[in-house]
Amino acid sequence: MDELTASPPVAGYEVPEGCCDELLENDGTPRPHAAPLMATLSRLGPEALAAAGHRRDTIFMQQGITFEVAGTDGERRDRAWPLDLVPRVLPAGEWTGIKRGLAQRIRALNAFVDDVYHAHEIVRAGIVPWSLIVSRPSFARPVHGVRPPGGVYCHVSGCDLVRGGDGRWRVLEDNVRTPSGISYVLENRVAMTRLVPELFAGHRVRAVDHYPSLLLDALQAVAPAGDGEPTVVVWTPGSLNSAYFEHAFLARQMGVELVESSDLVVRDAVCFMRTTAGLQRVHTIYRRLDDDFIDPLEFRPDSLLGVPGLVRAYRAGTVAIANAIGTGVADDKAVYHYVPEMIRFYLSEEPILDNVPTYLLTDESVCRHVLGRLDEVVVKPTSESGGKGVFIGPQASASERLRQAELIEQAPERYIAQELVHLSTVPTETEEGRLVPRHVDLRPFAVFGDEIRIVPGGLTRVALREGSMIVNSSQGGGSKDTWVLDDGTTSDVAPGTLPAHRPPRLPDIRYGGWHGQAQQQQQTRAARSR
Amino acid sequence: MLARIAQELFWLGRDLARAEHTARMLDGVFHADVAGDPRDQGIALGWEGVLAIIGAKAQAPGKERARSGEDGDRAAAVGAAARRGSGPLERTEVARLLTLDPDSPASVVSCVARARERGRTLRDVISTEMWEALNTFHLSLAGRDLTAVLASGPYSAYQEVKERCALFWGLVDRTMLRDESRSFLEAGGRIEAADMVLRMLRVAVPPEPETGGHQGGALALLHAVGGFQAYRRAVRTAPTVGPVARFLLYDGAYPGSVASSVEALHTALSTADAQPRSSPPVLRLGRLIADLELQRRAPYAAGALDQTLEHVQEELERVDLDIDDRYFAVALAAAVHL
Repeated sequence: MDELTASPPVAGYEVPEGCCDELLENDGTPRPHAAPLMATLSRLGPEALAAAGHRRDTIFMQQGITFEVAGTDGERRDRAWPLDLVPRVLPAGEWTGIKRGLAQRIRALNAFVDDVYHAHEIVRAGIVPWSLIVSRPSFARPVHGVRPPGGVYCHVSGCDLVRGGDGRWRVLEDNVRTPSGISYVLENRVAMTRLVPELFAGHRVRAVDHYPSLLLDALQAVAPAGDGEPTVVVWTPGSLNSAYFEHAFLARQMGVELVESSDLVVRDAVCFMRTTAGLQRVHTIYRRLDDDFIDPLEFRPDSLLGVPGLVRAYRAGTVAIANAIGTGVADDKAVYHYVPEMIRFYLSEEPILDNVPTYLLTDESVCRHVLGRLDEVVVKPTSESGGKGVFIGPQASASERLRQAELIEQAPERYIAQELVHLSTVPTETEEGRLVPRHVDLRPFAVFGDEIRIVPGGLTRVALREGSMIVNSSQGGGSKDTWVLDDGTTSDVAPGTLPAHRPPRLPDIRYGGWHGQAQQQQQTRAARSR
Repeated sequence: MLARIAQELFWLGRDLARAEHTARMLDGVFHADVAGDPRDQGIALGWEGVLAIIGAKAQAPGKERARSGEDGDRAAAVGAAARRGSGPLERTEVARLLTLDPDSPASVVSCVARARERGRTLRDVISTEMWEALNTFHLSLAGRDLTAVLASGPYSAYQEVKERCALFWGLVDRTMLRDESRSFLEAGGRIEAADMVLRMLRVAVPPEPETGGHQGGALALLHAVGGFQAYRRAVRTAPTVGPVARFLLYDGAYPGSVASSVEALHTALSTADAQPRSSPPVLRLGRLIADLELQRRAPYAAGALDQTLEHVQEELERVDLDIDDRYFAVALAAAVHL
């Protein structure tokens, strides 16, 4: 081990105070599950890693795997998707815990959405106040009393998980509207096998490339009953959307049409798409735009992206929409606080994954307590996403703290406060190929059709700046391939052990023509002389 | 046209198609090997399968000596790997053998070198642009440090092979006269494509392709042929071995399927032949096309796929011999006296 720690890539590696590193112990020795990986990295050395990094940027630009960032001058430009070449490795046992916890949480969130638009049991039990639910901007009055096929609302979800200094996993945020990032999980894996196949040696990594099949199965499973195979489409706001790459990726991988709103039309409460052969019935729409925009008759009347009458068709049950309309009420940052209670209420189970301790600022005494500890907590606006407007107490200056306190006092209902989590770190390569600790989070992706299925791993986002804990790619974050190791015992998918069959004897490969024959004769002669 | 020239054109097409399919296959298997689900036991399209496809069998320990004298070039192709002993064949060994080993006639560089030699002798027949594409291809492979490329990740090398082959066939389309020569070139490319896909299918498809099950093997097969997206658009069922095999065998809308290749081979030979109606290879291909269509429509029966694959490959072998007899026999007689 001494030899490993003395080798160049990890020399001078220091795990930040109060954090845990996922691949290395505090003294710099690799954790057992990451030992083969770290050994390979040491053997490769910084030059090989840096060279692979250059190849990566070229390949990503050529393949168009990019995303837009706003420069300081406000101009938007394409950047190669920032994939860090050092993967994050999760042992099988740990993943099993995460998977169970997520499935439990998603079942509870799904039950909550159903309850909100039907019986209000959780309100009557006095657990979540009705006033809080109806005041959420994502509460969707038009779908009150509508129950989609199978009672599934949250078909696709991606919860953000973080790991604190104690090594425990916690849920930082739920996302059951249109979580994005799965395309990068798949592309990251493909890129890793092409750029640094050596790293996989010594590990058995579980595959992720079956996600499109899982998603398609789920979307077909929730389609309204009809004759023949249901037609599934992916609905994108358009090619200018920042996640258009992912929309096109999913449509391509599933082999379904990628539609824009002008392609869809509702006639007599049935949804169709315009094709060269006339109108064709659509059964399931995987939509990648917010509730607000999908139907100008029911939601924002100024939406040009919507399909008039879609909610009518949805209410009539002739079309399934994934995720269902109105699910946003479950991933609101103020509702998040209640999720552990929901799990106990709906499932009669104890939560497997904890929340990060969160304070609702509407309660006056809590608010005062938080204002007194502004230098220790994180404050987030409830209605923003993408890391915008997040206030991190310990890193803020006195004047910033003063301004945040004013904002909270003006409208306490628009903010929540959370305890600061010291995000875990994973070794990350620098330009020169050296390894340094950087903070990460994890977004696993779950698909809920007949049952909840979760792709091993998920999107690991990494803050590329030293000490930073903001991992959003729009704020200078990168990503990592996430490996879930296989210990041979987990079996959530029936292992495809085909009976080993010996390949049949095939006819010999032929070589012909003048050159082929000359070669053949040479070889026959050579074989004889041997 | 001269029988010798026709034969060289035919084999130029075959060599290039073989180089491309070998590259695609190795890329697909490589990816499946690195990223595939480790629990996908029994994926037949592994490294041993690859050796079986190009004519090498994974041999039982101790048997290889007895075999090596028996069949000339095949032994030469495998010899190096087989002699190394009884352990499972590693990807580095197989990939090296089939990609850059100039002594192994099945390797990609050997195929390209032969194609380029043929191109050089055919410079009066093919267009200058085609010749230049071939020559650049050969020089570029020879100029790269392939050992280093293979060690750090062969993706870029296979990508180049695919692109250069596409460039060549694109130039054929744009610059070559649609005459007899073009037909023989095309016929060679098509028969080789059909043969390679059939070989992959025969090795990868178990005798009883189950309907459910894991998708790893089927995905590897699709990637090895390069038909993943086409499959996704054409077929709406999940990619498991059964539907994927049927797609690659029967689907006439996919240009890489066996049915498409056989159809194109038939067209090329009927164009080239002065009397296609009395030409054994053309007639045999006509029957094979009808057979395939009939099988495609037949209801599913256990073991039928396996038999169809074997039957189609046998028929193609006979077509190959028929082609030799009808068009090249004169040239073959000359070659024996070399």
